[in-house]
Amino acid sequence: MDQILLQSPLLTPTPIWLIALPLLVAFLSPLWGRARWPLLFGVHLGLFALALWLLAGVQDGPLIETLVIAPPLGIHLHADAVSLLLVALLTFAVALVAAFLWQGARAPHWQSRQAFVLIMLLSAGCNGMLLTGDLFNLYVFIEIAGVSAYLLSALRRDAAALEAGLKYLIIGAVSAVFILFATVLTYITTGTLNLAAIGMAFADIPAAMQILIGLLLLVGLGIKAELFPFNVWVPEIYRGSDPEASALFSGVVVKAFLFVLFNLVFLILADPAVVGRWLMILGGVTMVIAELTALRQRDLRRMLAYSSLGQVGLITLALGFAETTVVAGGLFHLVNHTLAKLLLFMVAALMLSRASSGHLDALTGIARRLPLAAGLFVLGSLSMLGLPPLAGFMSKLWIMAGFAEAGVFWPIALILLGALLEAAYFFRWIALFYRPVPAPRLASDPVGLPTASSAVTWPLLVLAVLLIGFGLAPVLLEPALNLAAEVLLDRSGAIEAVMGVRP
Amino acid sequence: MLDALDTPGVHHALYAVGSMALFSIGLYGLLTRRHLLKIFMSLAIMEMAVYLLFIGLTTQPGRTAPILSDGLVEFAGTADPVPQALTLTALVIALAVLALGVSMSIRYHQLTGTTDVETMSALKDP
Amino acid sequence: MSRAAPHPVRISARLMLVVCGWLFLLQVAVILLTLGQTATETVGDGLLARTMETGAANAVTAVVVSFRGFDTLGEVTVLFLAATGIGLLFSARPERTGTNTGPGSLDEGLAEGNPPVPTMAAPPPERVLSQPNEILANGIRLIYPVLLLFGVYVVVHGHLSPGGGFQGGVIIATAFMLRMLADPSFVLPPIVIAVLESFSGSGFVLFGLIGLVLAGTFLGNVLPHSAASTGLLVSAGVIPLIYILVGIKVGAEVGAIFQDMLEHHPHQEH
Repeated sequence: MDQILLQSPLLTPTPIWLIALPLLVAFLSPLWGRARWPLLFGVHLGLFALALWLLAGVQDGPLIETLVIAPPLGIHLHADAVSLLLVALLTFAVALVAAFLWQGARAPHWQSRQAFVLIMLLSAGCNGMLLTGDLFNLYVFIEIAGVSAYLLSALRRDAAALEAGLKYLIIGAVSAVFILFATVLTYITTGTLNLAAIGMAFADIPAAMQILIGLLLLVGLGIKAELFPFNVWVPEIYRGSDPEASALFSGVVVKAFLFVLFNLVFLILADPAVVGRWLMILGGVTMVIAELTALRQRDLRRMLAYSSLGQVGLITLALGFAETTVVAGGLFHLVNHTLAKLLLFMVAALMLSRASSGHLDALTGIARRLPLAAGLFVLGSLSMLGLPPLAGFMSKLWIMAGFAEAGVFWPIALILLGALLEAAYFFRWIALFYRPVPAPRLASDPVGLPTASSAVTWPLLVLAVLLIGFGLAPVLLEPALNLAAEVLLDRSGAIEAVMGVRP
Repeated sequence: MLDALDTPGVHHALYAVGSMALFSIGLYGLLTRRHLLKIFMSLAIMEMAVYLLFIGLTTQPGRTAPILSDGLVEFAGTADPVPQALTLTALVIALAVLALGVSMSIRYHQLTGTTDVETMSALKDP
Repeated sequence: MSRAAPHPVRISARLMLVVCGWLFLLQVAVILLTLGQTATETVGDGLLARTMETGAANAVTAVVVSFRGFDTLGEVTVLFLAATGIGLLFSARPERTGTNTGPGSLDEGLAEGNPPVPTMAAPPPERVLSQPNEILANGIRLIYPVLLLFGVYVVVHGHLSPGGGFQGGVIIATAFMLRMLADPSFVLPPIVIAVLESFSGSGFVLFGLIGLVLAGTFLGNVLPHSAASTGLLVSAGVIPLIYILVGIKVGAEVGAIFQDMLEHHPHQEH
């Protein structure tokens, strides 16, 4: 009996807990009452610890968790060094946003039970997307994350928020139809839904069908991962949503979709070079166009949205190269971008709660009223554009060094151009925050806002410390990132772990 | 004489043409209509087309439902159960998203009096 | 993009027709070309061969609830999300932008960034349902218990015959919807809905976790499910129990969605 108990999965947690626990807590939401925010924070901190613990166990090979019936017949969870790394990052990000909301959100719509349920299920959906090894199950989790995101952007329930929610929902439903269509065609032609089994059978189906499935998946996932030309909707949604929600979209949801996109490319295609080259071009175009457009933005949230698109483009550019050092750099940049964008969006939330709008004019001189927030904004934007000794510098350096090593120079030029454009618009905003303004405009705070407690800044400080820490000592992350990049690119290893044979 | 039409190939081709026609009609509606509810209808048509394709192409004439009843004791000559199960799942998800979209549209209409996506411009560049 | 342009670039409908027609031909061509080479051996065949182990007579149910039960858990989650969201959307009257009074002023700073909404275009949308007529009221009085019973039958026989938790749950929800149409005073108490959806959703996850502990995999079948009992009402282990939970969940969620959309009463939820 003791033997059974010791081996019981309750004592040795399995990856399923990363999905089942948030679901369970969300379903039981009416029980939690006022303890909702601490619980959201605590659960995600626990999931973060669990993901790290599991990560330590998959250094030598992926952990395959069977659900009901062994793959390739059934659904399985594929927990390896890269998916667990991202799960850890995303649960950590959600924990910080939860802490921020717990301490800072005074608006009634953030106090509701629904907001708690939505964030919890958003995170469950993203964890599921990262871990699942089954194409249709992936679609289901995409829908869970998607529906939570639509509702989060409409949470404020005024006209602007509803407009954002509706647009997000329509574009998300279109993307879901395309992904479902690709799933259906895959089942019809290969007779399986297991990603590893698809990876083995995909090369045998007719080339025209391969292209059709690939295009459908590219459109579907490209919409969600905010790649050009499927991303025109993004700035409007970020502007209509609360910055706290945008932080989750930019920092969590998009990252999960980027992983899904590249995981599919590297797992299914025997030779990802051609597709990878196209994705690199898409990424480069996304980056340049987004950074150029960001120059012209006069609303803080729209500017951050375009900046986010630019960074997504950069990450796509790096991951599409499919070469270990560059991919490791791309993953590092993904981590940094999540940290920096969370910081910037949460600072934006603080600023918008004190200013009358997110417009340039309304934020002029805000540094006088919110010195700490403005300082953190400077730190976040410097890391974003890549100034030493911050983390963004190190990751861009890794990526560029990798490209230089491989003798490919056009991405380096693009990255430098992007950094230049980023510097241009971020310094414009920073200069504006610190511009002295006539006293009368400073005097009046807008209508009796309850001031958030100073505890609201500690999630921001944690992010700032991490950005500086990873910049000074990237060696902290280096082994994990290198392993993750190797695992992401190791197609035959991933297939062998599931199917038992090398492709 | 018409037996030739009752072959899997003909059935599948009919299903393929029909469902892709539906899909294109839905796509056309999605791209050209401006009323929110019509957009949701177009989306629903596209989804239905995908289900039709799925169910149609994974079975053959003469197959029975994969259920042991009416004297059946083993699953022989039955249709593939997986597409049916997946369609059931996808259907409920689509229903949920559609209900949510329609509710948001109703709420948006109550707030602003508009149902036209092209006049939704509160979030554009000022 | 900018508002200054009086007419946003509108892609002509005729061009779209051509594009869609072209895509149609392309897709049909690709699918027809592939028809000869569709998969001969599918996962479905493998699962059919192993359906007997579950003791379920309905192979689709075995796939939905057992083999791919994880998908179903995700699907009821989406439904839960949608019902939660619709409850949120239709709960209290959202604050109109531009007002400075009431509880809405707290998030004024966040809401202010948007151009003012043309408030004159927002008529108070108090919709009053017309009184149900005699035929509707009496007809539904007759059909309501039958529908409920039929829904329950479909749910509990999900592992034996066509149907199951979703189908039966939707039938039950339809019964509620008809009742709401016939009798404006009929209300599903929100507290009961909240309890039911929490109970059924968490019950599903708990079944999964019990399976994880006792059977070794999430959603593993921990109750006896011998092939010999196939076809009996009590068979297939946890499958009917999970499907009953799904039925409760779908019935409660879809019923709540109908109720929110009908706007009988202000839906209080916190």
